[in-house]
Amino acid sequence: MNKKLPALLLISVFVVATCGLIYELIAGTLASYLLGDSVTQFSTIIGVYLFSMGIGSWVSKYFEKNILSWFIQIEILVGLVGGFSSTVLFLVFESIASFRIVLYGFVSLTGILVGLEIPLLMRILKDRYEFKDLVSKVFTFDYIGALLASLIFPLLLIPHLGLVKTAYLFGMLNVAVALIVCLNFKKEIRASKYLQGASFISIITLLAGFIYADKITSFSESQTYSDTIIYSKSTPYQRIILTKKNKVLRLFLNGNLQFSSDDEYRYHEALVHPGLQALPFAKHVLVMGGGDGLAVREILKYPNVDSVTLVDLDKGMTGLFQSNKILLGLNKNALLSPKVKVINADAFSWVKAQRKKFDFIVIDFPDPSNYAVGKLYTNAFYKLVKGILAPKGLMVIQSTSPFVAPKSFWTVNKTLESVGLKTIPYHNYVPSFGEWGYIIATEPDNVYKKPQQYLPGLKFISKESLDLMLYFPKDMGKVETDVNKLNNQILVKYFEDEWANVL
Amino acid sequence: MSGQTFYKDELSAYLQRRSFLLRIGLITGGIFLNGCYKKIRSNGYNIPGSLQGPDAKAGHILRDKLKLPAAKSTRKVKTLIVGSGISGLSAGRWLKKNGETDFEILELEKHTGGNSYFGSNKIASYPLGAHYITIANNDDALLIDFLKEIDVITHFEGQLPYYNDYYLTFDPEERLLINGEWQEGLIPDFGVPIADKKEIRRFLSEVDLLKNTRGNDGKFLFNIPLSSSSADENYRKLDRITFEAYLEEKGYRSKYLLWYLNYASKDDYGQKIKHISAWAGLHYFASRRGKAANAEQNAILTWPEGNGWIMKQLAGPLKDHIKTSSLCCDLKPMTNGHTLVTVLNTKTRLTENIEAEKIILCAPQFVNNRLLKNFNRNIDYKAFNYSPWLIANITINELPESKGINLCWDNVAYNTPSVGYVNSAQQHLKLSEDKKVITYYLPLCDFEPAVARLAAYSRNYEQWLDIVIPELEIIHPGITKAIENIDFWVWGHGMIAPAKDFIWSDNLAKAKLPVDDKIFFAHSDLSGVSIFEEAFHQGINAAKQVLHVAS
Repeated sequence: MNKKLPALLLISVFVVATCGLIYELIAGTLASYLLGDSVTQFSTIIGVYLFSMGIGSWVSKYFEKNILSWFIQIEILVGLVGGFSSTVLFLVFESIASFRIVLYGFVSLTGILVGLEIPLLMRILKDRYEFKDLVSKVFTFDYIGALLASLIFPLLLIPHLGLVKTAYLFGMLNVAVALIVCLNFKKEIRASKYLQGASFISIITLLAGFIYADKITSFSESQTYSDTIIYSKSTPYQRIILTKKNKVLRLFLNGNLQFSSDDEYRYHEALVHPGLQALPFAKHVLVMGGGDGLAVREILKYPNVDSVTLVDLDKGMTGLFQSNKILLGLNKNALLSPKVKVINADAFSWVKAQRKKFDFIVIDFPDPSNYAVGKLYTNAFYKLVKGILAPKGLMVIQSTSPFVAPKSFWTVNKTLESVGLKTIPYHNYVPSFGEWGYIIATEPDNVYKKPQQYLPGLKFISKESLDLMLYFPKDMGKVETDVNKLNNQILVKYFEDEWANVL
Repeated sequence: MSGQTFYKDELSAYLQRRSFLLRIGLITGGIFLNGCYKKIRSNGYNIPGSLQGPDAKAGHILRDKLKLPAAKSTRKVKTLIVGSGISGLSAGRWLKKNGETDFEILELEKHTGGNSYFGSNKIASYPLGAHYITIANNDDALLIDFLKEIDVITHFEGQLPYYNDYYLTFDPEERLLINGEWQEGLIPDFGVPIADKKEIRRFLSEVDLLKNTRGNDGKFLFNIPLSSSSADENYRKLDRITFEAYLEEKGYRSKYLLWYLNYASKDDYGQKIKHISAWAGLHYFASRRGKAANAEQNAILTWPEGNGWIMKQLAGPLKDHIKTSSLCCDLKPMTNGHTLVTVLNTKTRLTENIEAEKIILCAPQFVNNRLLKNFNRNIDYKAFNYSPWLIANITINELPESKGINLCWDNVAYNTPSVGYVNSAQQHLKLSEDKKVITYYLPLCDFEPAVARLAAYSRNYEQWLDIVIPELEIIHPGITKAIENIDFWVWGHGMIAPAKDFIWSDNLAKAKLPVDDKIFFAHSDLSGVSIFEEAFHQGINAAKQVLHVAS
């Protein structure tokens, strides 16, 4: 009864404790990545986790026979559940509705299993060692393990391994404890061979998960993005990637930055307000592209606007910005507003079939980097859009960078002019994009009056800033170009050439 | 003609016929044996699809002179048009335009369109034959009027027509797979030696010069319709040598240039340069001068269903005049000067007689040959040779990645048997489609047309796969697994082949003449070039003659 506790067992306790805390940290981090609001997420995750550990401790009294083999089985189970937790959570994140249930389900399950570990371990050891010694050492190592976990998690594991691999690594360690205990007490366990085999297979499975972690979660792009990828999805049309670094969210479509949450207001204010502020009568607004709802957010600031129709090809995109909590925070629930009607359709065909007129039209398509998108920058398309623009209405087109791609920018301008529209080109500086260009277009007999004041609360646009935006310095000055047509698509060629020099 | 040469002619004709039969026997026999072998040992591609073609059964009723039930009724029609290809529809349009109401268009197939017929599946509509036209020559007033009528020309800017933005071929238009990479345009350039490039430039500037040259009668040397070309003997004589001989004489030897010219010749005539006349070969390059307000010279107009779209515009307003599944079997002169036409309804198998004052035969001459046995036309039908074609409409779920520029409307590979494939989704406005139908065109020009035709008729679906898939695999390695379906379409008589001594021969001139001012002729084979514009003008010409005689 006075035997000293073998070092091996103490190491096991230590590992078990470290793993337990690591799972908790992973769940908390993942929740704050994916759901935002880290204080709430961490607080609720820790609460649920500790509570579940309590349940586990309470349940432990119902384990009466074969405690040793129960302990080994639970270790294996903790290893598997904990190891796969972050992968599963990342994967199910796309089916948003059930995400919280899965998240807290995982946290509870892990908590209960971890809660079982120490009580069972103590009961296994209670008859073999001095009780006061046992309690003191087990809890000492338990808390040291916790300290170690809390230190290496942010300092070593997240920067070097990432969430998914860390989970697999500690899953393996957990199962390794099972294996060690199994080998140590093999005489006392009836199905020792079976348990050894089970732990062995579990380790292999987790190892495979560890090696193929990138492929499983298809976050293989993580190396090309400097920030942490918190969401990625391939829709039939594009690959959507959302990254987060500190508080900054970035959205990439097919690898191209669409917005960065710290300066997107500069882009969206410039896109919407110079036009819409000049149309106090505007009731019906159309947005094409812009499935992120950020332009819609700006439009909804005008009480005179009765309806906003958003036409975006990709349901995956609009769906994400209608359901994800962080993104809803970013677009202020714009796409859930009763004034907003979201239509997932091909803009060209949709406009062709459309008869209703709109007072203000925002054209916010991806850059004309291929022939498919290039069609949406042609005279044929602008002719159709002109047809659904109310007589006194305005439209505004995001028109790539007049600094990097002057020929492209002025081609859009020329193409708009070619269908009998008067244009008002302007530009501003968006740190993530650089110098960016927009073009307002309207019927030639309309007079565009620069707004004298803007809605309160805007961060960038003002009467003075618009004056600057309307002025084109020499290095962005107008160049002569051709009209972009379906049968020549010169814009795609210009765009490719001009950006090739930069990227 | 002395007796001896007569004997020699007879003998050589006999020998030619024997060797022809022998070759046919060998080739079709070989295909048959290969088919049997395949049945036993299939290397199966396991690609679903079909093998179709024009209604051969109906055609063979004509050829084999089957016994038909006696006609139960006779009705009168003032003008009867036989055939609803472009020439027949164009004739009908002209009659209608000029106030005629009593006319009927008979079509043996279940549908109108002839060569411009098209197909469709769940993914898209696609051509089965003719699939584009070029913008009209600006002096072709009749065609320009028609294009205005159907909104292909939307308005004029100054003197120049503005073509409908949706019908001009969308960019990117053409690419060529050469030296391992897809280059823009079809004229060989990527990896082509400088000497060859020079020769290509020399040829192109020569035809460019010819394009803008007028003959001693003040007309353009090469024009559309062909009948408006110059009669200048210095150039007409080019019809009496082959294109190949002409090029050799001019010192063109670059293999890249010769490939390109063979490609062009196959594309327009279904034959290589050695089997077409120099005049026809040059016509391809030197007859199109169309200028538009919103497109480059000779820009191409196309539709997902190819020329099926224009065909529908022609047929739509005529639908009350068109009778499909109606096989015209026999024409007989009547004592009252009219013509009695026996027509078999291929659905009901009943015949009826139509008494027609005037008839416009808009069928190819090999069909007219059988229809007109009661009339003396005094022409040599054997001079009319028709190139057989295979068209494959291939549904793919993706196109394997390849080097160079991306999928275009027209995609051609250097030194392969086909003339490439067109993307039938080119004119779609949708941004992204996961599946596509590509239309692959294979002229069957390795043997003389009659042999190639019989060989084509005897191949089964699997044997066509064996011919088409290996070429597609060369063009796009790995494409086979992306193929979901292939529909083959065999045109036994795809298009008239303008061999030497054909277009400006006396024989063809005679073939254009009406019989007794009662039977008139319209078909692109009477121009010698199978293009939409020729058929269109042929139809109008014949209709004009009918109206002229009537007045």
